[in-house]
Amino acid sequence: MIFGAHGDLSKRKLMPSLYRLAYERRLPSSFAIVGNSRTKLSDDAFRQTMHDAVKQFLEDSPFDEDLWNSFARNLYYVAGDLKDRELYSAIAAKLEELGQSNVLFYLSTQPSFYGPLVDCLGTSGLARPPAGAWRRIIIEKPFGHDLHSAVALNEEIHQVVPENAVYRIDHYLGKETVQNILAFRFGNGIFEPVWNRRYVNHIQITAAESIGVEGRGAYYQEAGALRDMIQNHLLQVTSTIAMEPPALFEPDAVRDERAKLLRSIHVMHPDEVAANAVAGQYRGFRQEPGVDPDSQTDTFAAVTFFIENWRWAGVPFYIRTGKKLPKRTTDIAIQFNNAPHAMFNPNHNSNPSSGEAEPNLLIVRIQPEEGISLRFLSKQPGSGMRLRPVSMDFNYGSSFGERSPTAYETLLVDAMKGDATLYTRQDMVEASWRVVQPILDDWNGRKFEFPNYDAGTWGPAESDKMLARRGHHWRNS
Amino acid sequence: MTATVNPEKVLKDLRELWEQLAKEQTDAGVLRACAMTLIVIAEDETDAEHVRQTLGVLMHDHPSRAIVLKAAEGAELGARVFAECWMPFGRHQQICSEGIEMTADAANLGDVARLLLPLIVPDLPVVLWCRGPRFFSTRYFDPLFPLARKTIVDSETAPNARGAIAVLRELRSRGERVADLAWTRLTGWRQAIANVFDDAPMKISDVKIAYAGALSTRILYFRQWMELCLPAVRVALENIGGDAGIRAVTLSGKEGGVTVSKVEGSLLEVRSGQKTSRTLLPPADADSVMRAELSITGADAVFEALLK
Repeated sequence: MIFGAHGDLSKRKLMPSLYRLAYERRLPSSFAIVGNSRTKLSDDAFRQTMHDAVKQFLEDSPFDEDLWNSFARNLYYVAGDLKDRELYSAIAAKLEELGQSNVLFYLSTQPSFYGPLVDCLGTSGLARPPAGAWRRIIIEKPFGHDLHSAVALNEEIHQVVPENAVYRIDHYLGKETVQNILAFRFGNGIFEPVWNRRYVNHIQITAAESIGVEGRGAYYQEAGALRDMIQNHLLQVTSTIAMEPPALFEPDAVRDERAKLLRSIHVMHPDEVAANAVAGQYRGFRQEPGVDPDSQTDTFAAVTFFIENWRWAGVPFYIRTGKKLPKRTTDIAIQFNNAPHAMFNPNHNSNPSSGEAEPNLLIVRIQPEEGISLRFLSKQPGSGMRLRPVSMDFNYGSSFGERSPTAYETLLVDAMKGDATLYTRQDMVEASWRVVQPILDDWNGRKFEFPNYDAGTWGPAESDKMLARRGHHWRNS
Repeated sequence: MTATVNPEKVLKDLRELWEQLAKEQTDAGVLRACAMTLIVIAEDETDAEHVRQTLGVLMHDHPSRAIVLKAAEGAELGARVFAECWMPFGRHQQICSEGIEMTADAANLGDVARLLLPLIVPDLPVVLWCRGPRFFSTRYFDPLFPLARKTIVDSETAPNARGAIAVLRELRSRGERVADLAWTRLTGWRQAIANVFDDAPMKISDVKIAYAGALSTRILYFRQWMELCLPAVRVALENIGGDAGIRAVTLSGKEGGVTVSKVEGSLLEVRSGQKTSRTLLPPADADSVMRAELSITGADAVFEALLK
């Protein structure tokens, strides 16, 4: 049951993922998809709209009309306003008619509807499963707009359903490479011994987009880069890269460790924010449709986090994200300490821009080309001891030669199976809001001299200065 | 300028190119080799052809992602991808390097620099190679310098030797790391002179460099290098007849002297008293000197001292 089925997310991600799951015969034979939005549509009109959307947005897969026709027979539509109690009666009747007892409710609506919608699911009885069946609720981000609202929303939802029926989606956690971090760290014996403050100098996480707000200016100016990316996706990625090994690979064991890590992140004192967080806005953002000409929204955010535990004490975690940056890329770079003694001629292995030796780097590439690279120094062939950096690459796509499922495919199947490992739990969401809240508070009370970076650059100069204060510099991702 | 190149599309084209190459080589597959990003500014279409040939040679020792930029005034922006492959003797697997060929308006390289930034291979060195004499007479290339850790030029293409060195000095003073293929071509001469002192240490009071043709940057560098190595010695230049370039170097002192002279082709003859020996200069063609220059990944301390 998709609420907001006529929206962008449904067209671009959910329906193509469900179609692909059908293509791979990973949907149960008796499945049905019921869409809802306020737009009045017949079942057939809804099917046609979704047909066009899937054809347009399906990635790395062929579109098969015959398969679509078979898939579309299970698509239904119930129009109605989310605030209208009669809608829920109509939905209940439709589910009854379709003979569906196990129901996954996907909340792909405006976030302000999450609380009232869940409340309506409760009062209408839709949230209560019949004996032997299940009812689960997937909630899209953003989950709250600050710590206070996230806590309130959690309380509101728990009035209706228990935590184990709530699936807060963070599609980054469903990406193959993010899952592969767990395999890489805990399936191999050689990395964990150096995965700590003794060997790691610092960590950089970059999530860059080359595009601007692309018509989402009105939404985006309410969110900003810190809320839109760092509070959820990038802190979840941080927790994956930095968490302790769970004893078991099962939902609560993994999520316990993620939550523990998020709780270990130092919550900045207000006077620490200026030195550890940088906001930026690209030139031209204020001219985007729907954007306030004096907007103070951050289209770029860079933050230095510290994790206060034995493993990571003193290791900076630099996180940056932004729009209109040079390219679309998301990666994690673990920079190791230099060799303790420099026995080779520094002129032959130093970076002239910084004067530093070339450190070892382990890069986990999340998008667009998923993989892992290790940079190390190698002797250049020939006489003399000249060293040069080389990169050893593992490319996910070409190494396995098979298509990776999209994050939404993975997450939808997990929710159907009741596996919440890759979903965020209440305590994880609240812990990550707690970490960004002092920055939001500081930024809300400040008037920035925006815009402060040009499209096609790596953000404002202050972002470079933030790293330079600790003798570091951003890599060119 | 209306940007018609989408860097993400170019990177996607590169990925598809590799997939295509992998499909074509079903037995052993292809090995993707890349040790740096090499941005080459070609003078024109013909020059770009030469660059492609040179890249084919360079990739054996210095596999790279080559970005060949044909920068002409008023040229329309465009890009296409290509691969250079070779198969080492006795092996069954192709080794390939990737490349991007771009056209751009030379007067708008500032905009082009922004397009190049996302095309650079992360975490590996970036080298900029500005071919031809334009480098010495315009400021078109300035926006590209911050992209690279090293800029390679060939001052022997410049119309004015002293002016070319002044340009390089100015760049160096701004903190840019520059390399000059004219200097690289001197390596054989410098080795021959250094070997003289290995064989028999002696006290030198005068050095005479005989050259033919116009005074080139190579000759000026050579004199400066001699002055740097032998600060108390008088170094004189003498223009003589013959093929253009350095013809001979005479080092003299109270105890005698040594003459290193070019006798035929790339053969150097070293005469010291009754002893004569011969040595071959390394090849000075563009491919060879470029290969040698790319091997120097850090600072060339001696050349940088000359530019101070």
